[in-house]
Amino acid sequence: MSLSTQIREVARADLVVERRTGDTFRIVLPFAVVTLIIFSLAMGGEVAVLRNVGPAVFWAISILFGMQLALRTAALESPTRRDLMALLGLDPAARFLGRTAASALIIVAFMAILFLTMVLFFAPELPMGWVGPQAAALFLTAIGLAALSTLAGEVAAGTRSRTSLASLIVAPLVIPVILGGSQILEAMERNSGILIWILLLITTDLALLVAGVGLSRPLEEASR
Amino acid sequence: MRRIQVMFFLAGIALVYGGYRAFTAPLDNLQGEFTRMIYIHVPTLWLAFLAFGITALGSIGYLISKKQRWDSLAGASAEIGVLYAIVGVFTGMVWGQAVWGQAWDWGDARLTTTAVMIFVYLAYLALRRSIADPAVRAKRAAILGTVAVIQVPLVYFSVNLVRTLHQTQSIRPDGSTMPTEILLPMLINLGAFTILYVALMMARIYVGRLEAARSVSTEVAGDAVSPPRLSDIQDV
Amino acid sequence: MTASVELADVDVVLGGKSVLIEVSLSLSGGESLAVVGPNGSGKTTLLRLLATLLKPTRGQGSILGQNIGSPEIRQVRSDIGLITHTPALIEELTISENLLHFARLSGNPFEDCLRALEVVGMEKAADRRVGDSSFGMRRRTEIAWLLVSKPKLLLLDEAKSGLDVEARELVDALVGLTLNKSGIVVGVSHQTSQLGDRFMHKRRLASGRLEGFA
Repeated sequence: MSLSTQIREVARADLVVERRTGDTFRIVLPFAVVTLIIFSLAMGGEVAVLRNVGPAVFWAISILFGMQLALRTAALESPTRRDLMALLGLDPAARFLGRTAASALIIVAFMAILFLTMVLFFAPELPMGWVGPQAAALFLTAIGLAALSTLAGEVAAGTRSRTSLASLIVAPLVIPVILGGSQILEAMERNSGILIWILLLITTDLALLVAGVGLSRPLEEASR
Repeated sequence: MRRIQVMFFLAGIALVYGGYRAFTAPLDNLQGEFTRMIYIHVPTLWLAFLAFGITALGSIGYLISKKQRWDSLAGASAEIGVLYAIVGVFTGMVWGQAVWGQAWDWGDARLTTTAVMIFVYLAYLALRRSIADPAVRAKRAAILGTVAVIQVPLVYFSVNLVRTLHQTQSIRPDGSTMPTEILLPMLINLGAFTILYVALMMARIYVGRLEAARSVSTEVAGDAVSPPRLSDIQDV
Repeated sequence: MTASVELADVDVVLGGKSVLIEVSLSLSGGESLAVVGPNGSGKTTLLRLLATLLKPTRGQGSILGQNIGSPEIRQVRSDIGLITHTPALIEELTISENLLHFARLSGNPFEDCLRALEVVGMEKAADRRVGDSSFGMRRRTEIAWLLVSKPKLLLLDEAKSGLDVEARELVDALVGLTLNKSGIVVGVSHQTSQLGDRFMHKRRLASGRLEGFA
């Protein structure tokens, strides 16, 4: 089967499973919103303070929760299913790209809702015309986060402490993505260009996607 | 074994001499005794970067050749790299506290990247510890080692980008070129820490080989389950 | 070209323990092998080795004309059918959705899957989620898939355990079908009676070694 058919099919199946279980929007999103509220309470609920820290809190929570969303897919997969997928002739690169695509879509929807919630609670000052650039920021961040989490999820698959181990692997490596994403609105406020941050995000995403595709065969072998 | 002992002996001599040169080097009037920290700070960080570079090399080498010794090299170097990086960051913090009155500066790309790198390789080592099978461990560690080497320069670049575009950084006294009377002891210490690195690597690879030898048992997995003694069932 | 499977003095070490020791076997199209051995004797590992999902630690082998461990081994994977100990279906999808997923990934027509579901007597359960299906239904779904994918090398890991009489007959029929098409079948079980009498060769796996039957 062609690579693009396989990529689409892997992504489609992951998304159907996500829709059926509904974990993202029934469990993880409410949990993230509660975390947002805890943050605002912990900071004394002072309007001026919250206005300033809102976006930062949003990024911290999105990265931590977004990572968990992407790692879940890898953790859910049983070793026998992995074997079956290999025997179906599934190209490991298609597996990586399809899974990353599905996770990225889930993460971007999650982040968008969380961002709007944050705007509601924290009332940060947003620069004029923020919607487009912020949408691009969320989208590009989600791709990087999804790609790195997919890689980490497979590398840590089957170990005793896989979810926490994979989180430990993702968190430090995902820094360029967080910085790129979070600096876009800041740059708009300072009236400095956002292009450099978009470029940083694209570069990082591409590097991770190329690494994932290039390493997908050893990755497939390593996960059994 | 003998070679490792000789190497540690050489490292000891070099470090003592390096320490002597560090304490007899001229002092910077502005910074005082704490200047001497840089004779540990700079070499250890420099070698930490080298060590992580060797981990990357070992990882890629393993992916290409599938030879176990590349994996041993990568694993040992990551451990020693983390050790050196921690020493380097710690001495840097002490120095920073003494000289600038500030132990940590998030705007400093080098400092931040080094801290991030410590966590990247701690995660790498955690992954290694979580996998018992040497072949599986080698493959997965090699993948992470390769991703890390792609990602770490991007971390450095992105942190630096935040710094330069915010322009909050004050001018630092470390921009000047180094005079010879400081450069020479620095190089001597760099040499000493390099010898120590080599000695530690040799020792770690040696220990790794002992560990591997111990973990390969002559046990056959198929013998793990023995027939139940049905005749004893009454005794339960 | 007729199908063939060769293993020559293959050792497999997993997690520092020898699982298979000097295993050799040779099968060609139309031949079948039953391997019997106690729990934990390495039967599943042997099947995973034959399924190209594991590489030998030592020794060599070829599966359906490609050397194990060579990059070309991927080409024969879609000709291998494996029924694992526990069914490998996606719990959240329905039975027909699972088959659709497999069909799309491998390039088989979905209409064949629907016909196969009828053959295995599962057409009424097609829209049931795998998570809500019994073990026997999952097994039948897997058999339906193997009827579609028509493997040249069929590997059965305790395929009959926990199945009712009809489903066991289905497994036998699948074995017969594969052999008639000059395919190869390898079945493993802890019990000879679980495998049935369709197998030409019978071997024992004990302490990691493949022995002939006395």
